[in-house]
Amino acid sequence: MSKHLLKFTVNGRDHALIVESHERLLDVLRDRLGLKGTKEGCSTGDCGICAVIIDGKLVNSCLVLAIQARNKKVTTIEAIGTAQNPHPLQREFIKFNAAQCGFCIPAMILASKNLLDHNPSPTDEEIKDAIRGILCRCTGYQSIVKAVKAAAVEMRK
Amino acid sequence: MRMALKQSKDLGTPQTVLIGKSVERVDSIDKVLGKPIYSMDILPENCLYLKVVRSTHAHALLRKVDVSQARQYPGVVLVISAADIPGINESTALLPDKPLFANEKVRFIGEPIAAVASHDQAIAEEAVDLVKIEYEDLSAVFSPIEALKPDAPRIHKAGNVAKHLKLRKGDVEEGFKQADYIVEGTYKTQFQEPVPLEPETGFVIPEPDGSVTCVGSMQSPFHVQTGIAKILSLRADQVRVIQAVTGGAFGPKSDEMPVDILGMAAIVALKTRRPTALAYTREESMIGHTKRHPFTIKLKAGVKKNGKLTAWEAELVADTGAYASLGPLVVTRALFHATGPYEIPHVKSDSYCVYTNNTMAGSFRGFGGPQSHFAAESHVEEIAKIIGIDPLEFRRINMLKPGSLTATSQVVDEGCGLEECLEKAVEASNWHTKRSEFAKQTGTIRKGIGIAIMYHGNSLGPEGSDYVAAHMNIDKDGTIKFRTALTEYGTGATSGLLQIAAETMNLPMSYFKLEPPDTDYCNDAGPTVASRTTAVGGRAAQMVAGKLHQHLKEIAAGLLGSSVDEIEISNELYYVRNRPQRALSYLEIVQSAYKNGLELKVHDTFTAPKCEYDPETSQGTTYLQYTYGAVTAEVEVDIETGKVQVDKIVAAYDVGKAINPLSVEGQIEGGTIQGLGYGIMEELTHKDGIVLNPNLADYYIPTSKDIPEIKSIIVEYPGQLGPYGAKVIGEPPIVLPAAAIVNAIDHAIGVRLTEIPATPDRVLLTLKKKRN
Repeated sequence: MSKHLLKFTVNGRDHALIVESHERLLDVLRDRLGLKGTKEGCSTGDCGICAVIIDGKLVNSCLVLAIQARNKKVTTIEAIGTAQNPHPLQREFIKFNAAQCGFCIPAMILASKNLLDHNPSPTDEEIKDAIRGILCRCTGYQSIVKAVKAAAVEMRK
Repeated sequence: MRMALKQSKDLGTPQTVLIGKSVERVDSIDKVLGKPIYSMDILPENCLYLKVVRSTHAHALLRKVDVSQARQYPGVVLVISAADIPGINESTALLPDKPLFANEKVRFIGEPIAAVASHDQAIAEEAVDLVKIEYEDLSAVFSPIEALKPDAPRIHKAGNVAKHLKLRKGDVEEGFKQADYIVEGTYKTQFQEPVPLEPETGFVIPEPDGSVTCVGSMQSPFHVQTGIAKILSLRADQVRVIQAVTGGAFGPKSDEMPVDILGMAAIVALKTRRPTALAYTREESMIGHTKRHPFTIKLKAGVKKNGKLTAWEAELVADTGAYASLGPLVVTRALFHATGPYEIPHVKSDSYCVYTNNTMAGSFRGFGGPQSHFAAESHVEEIAKIIGIDPLEFRRINMLKPGSLTATSQVVDEGCGLEECLEKAVEASNWHTKRSEFAKQTGTIRKGIGIAIMYHGNSLGPEGSDYVAAHMNIDKDGTIKFRTALTEYGTGATSGLLQIAAETMNLPMSYFKLEPPDTDYCNDAGPTVASRTTAVGGRAAQMVAGKLHQHLKEIAAGLLGSSVDEIEISNELYYVRNRPQRALSYLEIVQSAYKNGLELKVHDTFTAPKCEYDPETSQGTTYLQYTYGAVTAEVEVDIETGKVQVDKIVAAYDVGKAINPLSVEGQIEGGTIQGLGYGIMEELTHKDGIVLNPNLADYYIPTSKDIPEIKSIIVEYPGQLGPYGAKVIGEPPIVLPAAAIVNAIDHAIGVRLTEIPATPDRVLLTLKKKRN
């Protein structure tokens, strides 16, 4: 095991940390930076609930070593909206009851945001493709697809 | 046996402001912002972490558990096993059959034997392998049918049958004599894994006075409190249990798993005086917690040429695994629903809850209903085919209507919307056109459309005393805090309680705040199971809000110098009838109460009437009202690969009264997709007691790419139990999709699958059998 200097940007803030070579990005985000919005559902890359955006790509943070994020820009749910001023995606997720237990929702919102960043007018199939790697056991996905579609309309206004 | 259950007249006024409106849930904002709300987000500082040592043998005597090496491993703080339990070594849901840590013997692969505590999770995990266990193997049994044989290995001292229950209505032999046809069939279902996205988690804080505070992901805080107090040999009031926001549950988090998690953590917390956390990995969760029981259901039906059912005989055998969990109650509900929603004069059914050396089965959304309805709704299609009657017509002839007698001889009351559900689903699915169109297909991909109908008993009924306590108080700033030990784990039902309270008090929702379930601040509300939050909890919300409402009116009457009966309220203003000029605002009344030392604090308990039935024959009132439903499924089957794709589902449910239609649709959509998974892809497979797919790569659940178009239809025939006539809708949507899909497959390719899930290999095998 060796130690490394990890310099990276998380939610617009620069960080410099000493990390062990085996530390996962998920643990660094949650335990070292206190960003608890990124959840752990399986730790084997199957459920997608720990997804974050790294340089414009959606990535399972349980499968990424922290040091792999060196010099990269990481976005987590904490950067998306506030209670006073939620992101349109967050507003529409609430409106369509797309958050039931809520455990997959940070990943769902990040996946949707990443989609809309690249494709402002997605079709239903494109939305389903964008969230296919994230499991939801409560909603049956239909309300999530509707919420993303509505948010896309809002954001184009 | 009509139910004497009347709601008082002042409840459920016909003109409602909030009831029936799709208001936003109160807990959504934290969830969409990713706030730290779940157990593992709010761990105390300097927590110890636990890792569990598990049995690698399916059935064996424990000769020796040697923890000495693990104890000496650098970084290990403590290793605990059965010998370290201060109180009783028991962690159960119903029968006292399951230890917290295996003592004398192990009964399944994955059973906890010891646990290792360290400040470092990795160290605890490494030390798990250092616990040396000597086993003496016993012969094991993995099939409930085998386990019923007299010479089968005995898993528990009392034998391998945890429960045998009988239902006897009329004289089944006489019923068969009256029949023109006898139709027999055997249907099999699989272990379904609930997969709450948040695995089991929790932590325990040792308090200075020797008590403990337990925080975790759970459904039923008071069940956990009782369990932990027993394990620690403490009084219940020395065990404070707080439910953290729970990331999905679906049943197992009401059973023994939260007691396992917090029980182990509590022992370590008490011994080390340090907060201790335990979080199951996905694999531990899938092996450790309870799943849907696999059933083998044998049916024999008698029917006349005109389509009238005369007799129904059912034998249901359920594999409950190594420990009963809530299996005895699951087979009870399955037995009561084993005829499907049909009126049949003569019924004889037997259900058996059987131990094996597989992992445990217990509570899971639907609770025996999906298995019974899969069998019954497959069987009626076969009957209709044999006697040459259209399957819709057959259902119309036999289905429950007001005045019918159920299998338990309960009279169906006016609150029965089954027929309307059926007709609406038929219409919305364009049934007749598709039925005839799809019958003419050739080629590799064949389409089909199928239907299934259901009923689902509301209230705990045979599952226990049905009561809910609720508390409310008003803060100085006017915030109305609502507290109950009923938990929220995703459905949104607790937001519905606020909606009901706000409606009752004629005040806007924005004043109301939901407090977390906490045994120190709530009276027992029973378990949060059986979709009972709205139907039973809603009645408690009405009662307690009614009391507080009355209280505010009394204060207003005092201030305005009138009688309480004359006080009216609109737009947050309290005034004397016909004199709105002199009005007091809600906040003025609250402030006046505070100034004069009047307490704005109330609590009350709603207790549902008891369900009375004969335990020998299961005849009587088994539930206080019923939810009804009809589902159509449209599928495409590839006859070369066996792949089944579901294109469209229409789901119509009689929910009595939709308190929040958006939430009702959320339950219908989510349950439908979980039911679709049950029908075509989900199966936790065991080989010699080993779970072969305890991960989400090999155990498939539906993704966004597997979902069909879902059309939800709400039908409202008010029931007698729930507030405003509301019926339960949490569980019912998972009951029918499997049956409707399998019936659609039959329509598409002309073969009946008698076993689910309808995986490609199973579909191909069934096709091949037919060709030979």
